[in-house]
Amino acid sequence: MPQPAERKNFPKEMLQYRSRFPILSHIHKPPVPARGGRKNTRGGVKSMELAALEWKVGGQQGEGIDSTGEVLARTLFRYGYYVTTYRQFESRIKGGHTDFKVRATPAPTHFHGDKVDILVGFDDETLPVHRPELKPGAVVILEGDGIKVTEEDGYTLAVFPLKAIATELGNPLAKNMIALGITGGLISLPREAFYHFIEEQFKRKGADVIASNKRAVDRGYELAQEHLAHKVKTLPPRDIDPNRLYLSGNEAIAFGAYMAGLTFLSAYPITPASEIMEWLAAKLPKRGGAVMQVEDEIAGITFAIGASFAGARAMTTSSGPGIALKTEAIALAGESETPVVVVDVQRAGPSTGMPTRHEQGDLNHLLHAAHGDFPRIVLYPSSVEDAFYLAAEALNLAEIYQTVVFLVSDLGLGMNKQTTPRFDPRRVEIRRGKIVSEEEARALGEFFFKRYRITEDGISPRPLPGNPYAVALTSSNEHREDGHIDETIEARNAQMEKRMRKLRGLRIRNPFYVDHPDAATLLVAVGSARGPVEEAAAALREEGYDVGTLFLQQLAPLPVEELRTLLVGRHVITVEHNYTGQLLGWLRRHLPIHEHSTTITQYDGRPFFAERIVREAKERIADEHRAERAHA
Amino acid sequence: MSIAPSAPTLKDYRGDVNTWCPGCGHFGVLAALQRALVNLKISPHEVITVSGIGCSSKVPEYMRSYGFHSLHGRALPVAQGAKMGAKDLHVIVTGGDGDGYGIGGNHFLHAVRRNMDVTYIVMDNGLYSLTKGQTSPTSPLGFVTRTTVYGNKERPLDALSVAIAAGGTFVAQGFSSDVKRLTEILERAIQHRGFALVNVLSPCVTYNKVLTYDYYKEHLVTVEEPFPTREEAIRFVKEHRGLVHGILFVDPETPDYQTALGYELRTREIDEGPMDEALLRELEEEFR
Repeated sequence: MPQPAERKNFPKEMLQYRSRFPILSHIHKPPVPARGGRKNTRGGVKSMELAALEWKVGGQQGEGIDSTGEVLARTLFRYGYYVTTYRQFESRIKGGHTDFKVRATPAPTHFHGDKVDILVGFDDETLPVHRPELKPGAVVILEGDGIKVTEEDGYTLAVFPLKAIATELGNPLAKNMIALGITGGLISLPREAFYHFIEEQFKRKGADVIASNKRAVDRGYELAQEHLAHKVKTLPPRDIDPNRLYLSGNEAIAFGAYMAGLTFLSAYPITPASEIMEWLAAKLPKRGGAVMQVEDEIAGITFAIGASFAGARAMTTSSGPGIALKTEAIALAGESETPVVVVDVQRAGPSTGMPTRHEQGDLNHLLHAAHGDFPRIVLYPSSVEDAFYLAAEALNLAEIYQTVVFLVSDLGLGMNKQTTPRFDPRRVEIRRGKIVSEEEARALGEFFFKRYRITEDGISPRPLPGNPYAVALTSSNEHREDGHIDETIEARNAQMEKRMRKLRGLRIRNPFYVDHPDAATLLVAVGSARGPVEEAAAALREEGYDVGTLFLQQLAPLPVEELRTLLVGRHVITVEHNYTGQLLGWLRRHLPIHEHSTTITQYDGRPFFAERIVREAKERIADEHRAERAHA
Repeated sequence: MSIAPSAPTLKDYRGDVNTWCPGCGHFGVLAALQRALVNLKISPHEVITVSGIGCSSKVPEYMRSYGFHSLHGRALPVAQGAKMGAKDLHVIVTGGDGDGYGIGGNHFLHAVRRNMDVTYIVMDNGLYSLTKGQTSPTSPLGFVTRTTVYGNKERPLDALSVAIAAGGTFVAQGFSSDVKRLTEILERAIQHRGFALVNVLSPCVTYNKVLTYDYYKEHLVTVEEPFPTREEAIRFVKEHRGLVHGILFVDPETPDYQTALGYELRTREIDEGPMDEALLRELEEEFR
């Protein structure tokens, strides 16, 4: 048994417990017959090791579904597992079905999984909605009257009066803790793991609340032992790697931007992007920066543009409907060459669409948003880890290239947490581009400083207001080199060509990730579709299919030459969350891949199941073979 | 002319070739603004002028300073953002009534209540002039324009009363042909620590045949001293149908936005080079 590494924040009791009892004692107890006259006829010890766990809790909003899932997720994370989560919720505060998926795996993954080992339900909707996800032999724990354990078609149904038991224990709110205790009992998790979180979470509520919640967890363990002993399996403890974090895409973007010197964020609240603003609102003042929740989306971006013009590192965050409102000012950033980072955490559209559902339907908008021609950068991290680095890099690129940088995310990536390696501060260096110093400006001796100086690389040195020798005009109107309005053919062409030169040859550190690049078929995706696509590709390869993956992170300017080598002449399938295949459309616009490309799309607001990608990819591959044979 | 920081002169503030119509009221506003800055010994590099779109929004073109000629209606948010970026500079916003009270109406209301230290000069000619004379939010009732052929059916916006009622901490109205008085008002507005609205009646000689210099000269009532209460100021404005001239209300007590933040802004201090590893590790604790 390897000794777990010592780490901060890890419950000490749990470390001791684990080292003393590498295999948990109660698993070896003989199974206790189930109550209610039903005898456990299976006999013997059925304890087995679970390689991974997929767990889901469902209930009505306001019932603490999120916090229940979060406690289990964090517990499993600190138990040494890679944890991925997915929350689904409705656009209302109380009521309406909500669910929270937790998947714990021994190896890193970007996907919260298709299936469920244990389903906990506090409302009537949970079972019918999630029944198709149950694995054979799954356990369903439902709130109900009396205790009843039955074997259903392919799963075990365990009904417990969780609320009543919690009330008996003196805290009706602790029913979620009982459910967690049952879960813990079912997977033989040391109960001390939960104790730690209870102590952390209810610290301010006092010893009584902590004690009653602990009792609730214990009661859950007892219920599992008494009624579900035949279903108990072991989720073996794993080595704890201290170099792991557990956070969401939204948190990663906020954190990455903060570490890259962000000093100003102006935004308007919108689901699913608000968390970025909220995280930074607590942090930025500590270093003299500011978060402003302003009057509308237009102010969100124009405040940021003003602050950036004056020398701050500025960003604005929103989602589709808000990005639509910001469109005019995106062109302002392009024409006036003012750096600004615009984060779009996409949700399902069009219009206000489905505010709390997942989609990748804004790509066309971001790639084309605003009138006129101007250079733009569009980056789309495909993991929580990359969300951190690309947020940092986006701020650099905005200032270096003096234009708008879109940092694209989606609800699936933004609102859900993943186990992620700790961040490497050396991977992104803070760079501000061509800012003119007083000495440089003085040497030039210009009464009207040439803010829009024609340069070979298309980037003009930028003065920050206050520089005594570089008084300059920044303008949304077409202008000559000193920024004053000029609509002559010479000025227009010179400025347009200068601006459009800027992004020539721009490559970020990881414009895309490719795996099995020589495969006959490449599955191509962006953002949170990476997780299910990765697992689908692995499953397809196991079945003998020659399949690779490519996850694109730099959408504009598109790294055409590299993609040409990878994609042209190969069978390309994009996997995307929108109706029209926007990613495929963008690739086809730049690369001659029309004949050998297709797309798997989903637009129901729910994340992909890997299973579905496997099934559809097989069909597309068969179609492609048929077409090739017909052609031959 | 000099590019070095020294006692500024009017020449230092001279901008690009002016294209306003001869006789335009805006000339007086530009002159008053430049004089006010020179009188206050503020140099062009210490000033950010921000504008939207329209005749009046050409001010950053026509005077030398750090200028940002931005979008129609968006001058106020750009300017407030600029103030957040450069707290020690004077931020002056110039625009028209259509730009500020029409398309920018929402920003105006929130700028007033936010009280950011910005001077907002609205050059009010009761018209959209650069688009050749359509009705604006301050056009009189019954006003006939290209878009109100049968007379304007909407009552004009009383921006002064709105600003005072919404918590404005400096509200004044100037008249573009009285450059001396306007200069004094602008000096006080620029010195005011908080959001200062100076609505300037600035006739459009090309399209507005109603709100003319003569009309204002005949009707304007001068305010010698700001009123002690918001109620009195608003009552006075209403009694005289907005035809008033002077500083109407000043509240020096309410802190401006940046003071209210309670800490010193350092939004321009960004260290280039590697990320701060110690800080990264400290913040990571939240996610472990």
